[in-house]
Amino acid sequence: MLSSKTLAPYMRRYTIRIMLFMAAYVLILSGSLAFANNGAEHGKATLIGLALITAFPIIGVFWAIFRLLVETDDEYQRLLFAKQTLLATAFTLVIVTVWQFLEVYGVVTAGPQWMGVIWFAMLGLAAPITRWKA
Amino acid sequence: MKNRLKVLRAERDWSQQDLADALGVSRQSVNAIETGKYDPSLPLAFRIADLFELTIEAIFVRD
Repeated sequence: MLSSKTLAPYMRRYTIRIMLFMAAYVLILSGSLAFANNGAEHGKATLIGLALITAFPIIGVFWAIFRLLVETDDEYQRLLFAKQTLLATAFTLVIVTVWQFLEVYGVVTAGPQWMGVIWFAMLGLAAPITRWKA
Repeated sequence: MKNRLKVLRAERDWSQQDLADALGVSRQSVNAIETGKYDPSLPLAFRIADLFELTIEAIFVRD
C-alpha cells in the first residue's frame, strides 16, 4: 500500500537505478577520457572498447526508464509515463529530422549527434506537459 | 465515464489519499478517476467496487 509520505516502491527502485547509472557514467567517462588522452597511442579495438564501456551506463538509464514502465503497478501513472516517453521520442525525432536536413543543405557541418542526451532532455520537457492537468 | 466516487468517499469521510492508500495507487490516480479524466481498467474497477462493497455499475455510470 502506498503512503503519501514515501516513494512508491517502483519509483524508489527507478531512482536508485538512475543514480547508480549516472554515478557510473561520470566515473567511466572521466576515467575513459583520461585514459584515451594520456598521450599514448591506442589501437582501434581499445577505442571501440572505451566507447562501448562509456555507452553502457547510458544504455542502463534507458533500461531503467523502460523497467519503470513495466514495474509501475499504478495503471494511471504507467499511462502517464508511457505518454511521457512517447512525447519525448516524438520531440527527439522532430529535432533529428530538422537537424538532418540542415546538414543536407549545408547549413551545419555535422548531422545529428548526442541523441541520448537530447532524448533525456526531451523526457524532462515532456514530463510537465504530460502531467499538466493530469 | 461518470462515477459516484466523490459521493461514496464523502459518505465514509475518506480523503482522496485515504482511498488511494486503500487501493494502492497514487492520489493523482484517484483524482483522475474521480474527475472522469481516466477510466480505470476492469481489475481496478473491481478493486474499487470491493472496497465500497458495491457492484461496479453502482459506482460507474455510462455517459
